Amino acid sequence: MTITASRLTKRFGDKAAVDGVDFEVGESEFFVLVGPSGCGKTTTLRMIAGLESIDDGELRMNSVVVNETRPRDRDIAMVFQDYAIFPHLSVHENIAYGLRSRRLASSVIRQRVPDAAATFRIEHLLRRKPRQLSGGERQRVALARALVRDAQAYLYDEPLSNLDAQLRHQAREDILALHQRQRKPTVYVTHDQSEAMSMADRMAVMRSGRIEQVGTPRELYENPVSTFVAYFIGTPSINLFQATLRAEVEDVWLEAPAFSLRLPPSRARALAGHVGGPITAGIRPEDLHPPRQAPFEVGEHNTMTARVDLVEPTTAGSTVYATMPGPAGDLDVAASFGARLPDRFVGQEVPLAVDLEKVHLFDAVTERSVLVDARAA
Amino acid sequence: MRIRLADVTKRYLREGSLRVASDEPPALDHISLDIADGETVSVVGPSGCGKSTLLRLVAGLETADCGTVHYDEHDVADVAPQDRGIGMVFQDYALYPTMKGAGNLKYYFDVHRRTEDEARARAKEIADIMGVGFELLLGQQTTTLSGGEQQRVAIARCIVRDPTLFLMDEPIVNLDAKLRESTRMEMAKLLKRYGITTMFVTHDQQEAVFMGDRIALMRAGRVVQIGTFDELYYSPVNLFVATFFGSRPLAVLPATVADRTVRFGEAAWPLPAVLADRLEPGPVRIGVRPEAWRFAGAESGGGARMAVDRIESVPAERLTLAHGTVSGARVTVVAPAGTAGDVLWLTPDWEAATFFAADGEHALHTPGAPEFF
Repeated sequence: MTITASRLTKRFGDKAAVDGVDFEVGESEFFVLVGPSGCGKTTTLRMIAGLESIDDGELRMNSVVVNETRPRDRDIAMVFQDYAIFPHLSVHENIAYGLRSRRLASSVIRQRVPDAAATFRIEHLLRRKPRQLSGGERQRVALARALVRDAQAYLYDEPLSNLDAQLRHQAREDILALHQRQRKPTVYVTHDQSEAMSMADRMAVMRSGRIEQVGTPRELYENPVSTFVAYFIGTPSINLFQATLRAEVEDVWLEAPAFSLRLPPSRARALAGHVGGPITAGIRPEDLHPPRQAPFEVGEHNTMTARVDLVEPTTAGSTVYATMPGPAGDLDVAASFGARLPDRFVGQEVPLAVDLEKVHLFDAVTERSVLVDARAA
Repeated sequence: MRIRLADVTKRYLREGSLRVASDEPPALDHISLDIADGETVSVVGPSGCGKSTLLRLVAGLETADCGTVHYDEHDVADVAPQDRGIGMVFQDYALYPTMKGAGNLKYYFDVHRRTEDEARARAKEIADIMGVGFELLLGQQTTTLSGGEQQRVAIARCIVRDPTLFLMDEPIVNLDAKLRESTRMEMAKLLKRYGITTMFVTHDQQEAVFMGDRIALMRAGRVVQIGTFDELYYSPVNLFVATFFGSRPLAVLPATVADRTVRFGEAAWPLPAVLADRLEPGPVRIGVRPEAWRFAGAESGGGARMAVDRIESVPAERLTLAHGTVSGARVTVVAPAGTAGDVLWLTPDWEAATFFAADGEHALHTPGAPEFF
């Protein structure tokens, strides 16, 4: 099955919570909707489930319009953030509930429930009540209940938010393992971009009711269409600077009070209409290196200097938070190093080598990428 | 200000009972802590571990059954919370809803009969640090602010009072992931700038590492280990600490040491001399971080066989991860770029492996922090 949304719209009062959203979830695709709170991702999911009415646009499953189809007739399984398991029923009865309500033979139920429970390692808990379970176990009951149904599509609404880090990782692998087995279209909602990046086949970044960009995690990371997507994807967030483009003979320089960087030809070519004017430059923390460890040649044309405020140890090295002088007060800059910067550098000025092949450039007014648009055209 | 807790224990009465049930574990169980002047200590642990109770006890909102709390050289047992000179920030903001942001900041100065000029100067100074747009927030009614904005005002309100001790209980847990990132940066800057002694309670290990000069990890009313990130990550005292830290899970392999060799499932590895001298023969558990494996390629039979379920690429970290199982144990490994296929052959990097007792959870051997420079 495929799920297709065209111009999908939902209004609450005179405000459009979801404002003409288009996407398609392919056969057996794991599709993630991600965005900050209030962006409309959960409302979109609930429209697919049939829990919210659709005000405008079309929702299709395969080629059939299902706008008016009742939720239970859409044959979709959904997992909620707060699990939504029945407190008065045992784990066994919670998992069996969907099967009973569909009037499946009890011989089928007797066979399928333990199977589903075994998949999520809760077969020993079947007689317990939900209140005797930990948060992680409850989440696995909710997953088992969704799995046992053998639905046409799977929907998840922030299912991992209430779990702590260790359980979250485990549950993430469980959900993906289930998906591998079912190969059914899946829509997964989260506000956590790292969760989205690690799970999605493709993902849509949403902002105020609209989709800002759809693509694979790698596409969104490497070629964000706007400053919003660039900033949203990746931790720590991309550094964004206001700068000017200056042409000098063959070269294009990216200039700001704190730095002067010579753009490589690959970047410079796309910039024809912008030279001489303002531009927003985006440099990811992982593209700033200590000069001696940079995987490219370092010179004055690709170095900037910043004063170290804070060094955060990470498992792979450190994240360095620093400041540079800007037009109006200091600018924050974050750099992810593959090595641990010793604490004695705090308060010191350090050189940062910029991987110029990976610099992102956005129109200073529209905030749209001048690189990605150029490529698309 | 220096904060010292000596052997503090706190039990709650069971509901409807006047006697303390002796079988009930205490909420705080013999806790000793020494927080230096200007230091930030993160208190982290799973829910119900007692971290919020600890914070409330330091604030004076709870009293200890036994043990002492000292602010510098003063025992504060008899000092009321409002007289302790502390600033507290909670999960739920607790702003005065009838006032604008600015009024919230000024309120303390009004109550304490300070001058208008002083209040305004202080507020301006804080607003500069809080960054772009903060002054706009001050002009708005607090009820119209978003969660993130309200919390920024709440933190600023705390700082203007010039507290000698700052206590924060999950201050940014209600914000979404991206907003949390920028807010914690602001908080860290404010704390650095004013050098205020701080206790920061969170359940999020990354936040704890970011905010804390040191991190206290709690479980069931006890502080299991306190130290820097490197100490907790590379020299954990037990399996609980080792599994709590790290953004990707530690693999725990049940193994046996015999004849200076360690056996795990089908695999057997000769132990490096340092480890062989140190470990008694018998069952152990080996903890291996995702980044601490060596590879023998997809073909040959060297090491342990990993059945790969899923290969994940992490563009932001330029990493490839393989998820799967080794002899029934769940394992996530950082794999070489371009790794493909269903099978990998692995060997732990013995310089980075941790050994735990098989019957308890305490560490028998820890690798210590690597040299980064």
